[in-house]
Amino acid sequence: MSPAPVEVDEPGIDHGLDRELDGDVATDRPWIVLVWNDPINLMSYVSFVFQKVFGYSRAKADRLMLDVHHKGRAVVSGGTREKAEMDVFRLHEHGLWATLQQDD
Amino acid sequence: MALRRDGDRTTILLGEDERVLLVDLAEQFRSVLSADADPDLRRLYPAAYADDAERDADYAGLVHDDLLGTRLDAVERLIGSATAETIDDEDLAAWMQVLNGLRLLLGTRLDVSEEDEFDPEAPDAPSRALLAWLGFLLEEAVESAAAGL
Repeated sequence: MSPAPVEVDEPGIDHGLDRELDGDVATDRPWIVLVWNDPINLMSYVSFVFQKVFGYSRAKADRLMLDVHHKGRAVVSGGTREKAEMDVFRLHEHGLWATLQQDD
Repeated sequence: MALRRDGDRTTILLGEDERVLLVDLAEQFRSVLSADADPDLRRLYPAAYADDAERDADYAGLVHDDLLGTRLDAVERLIGSATAETIDDEDLAAWMQVLNGLRLLLGTRLDVSEEDEFDPEAPDAPSRALLAWLGFLLEEAVESAAAGL
């Protein structure tokens, strides 16, 4: 399999926004949810979970899954910290290895 | 074939021995989950904040019991439907959660890697065969669930 180019195009992630950082503004930076490659989860299962949890199309879920598989990780969603943490929780419920961090 | 999509339900094509094995594994999974002390459970409770121990501890404290509870519920659902001819999509989701949870536990215990090749002479061959069987069942469950999305 060869990985397809991945476009992660989530509303709420404003890449390239370069504001003067003070304490308050820094906390406004959006959060991203990463899924990491692991040797146990099945590829078909990971793609299915992306479809079920995020409502992504089969094509988009497969692209993200292949990105995880080939590049070791992929950004699968993002937004406020609360939303990102909820997404991570739902991925953990399904046994995926997911983390959240502030976008940089 | 072990599982087959039929309309809005999934037909279970497993034989009697396989159903008994599955229930046995689910019961073992329930024991390990309930005791909550096996370090090989770590892949079922991953860190959410990789670089922030304090926030991660808060997260873990918040979700641990929920994660445990939903898995124990799934085990009960699987055991309750293991002899059924067909199951609905809620049961199927529970089956998937147990199959995947068992694979995470067993795969961690076996320290599997993507490059592993099956060696029938290796001492852990029976466990690896079991992991592959669970993967086969999960694969078929995913196929049926995807058809029901």
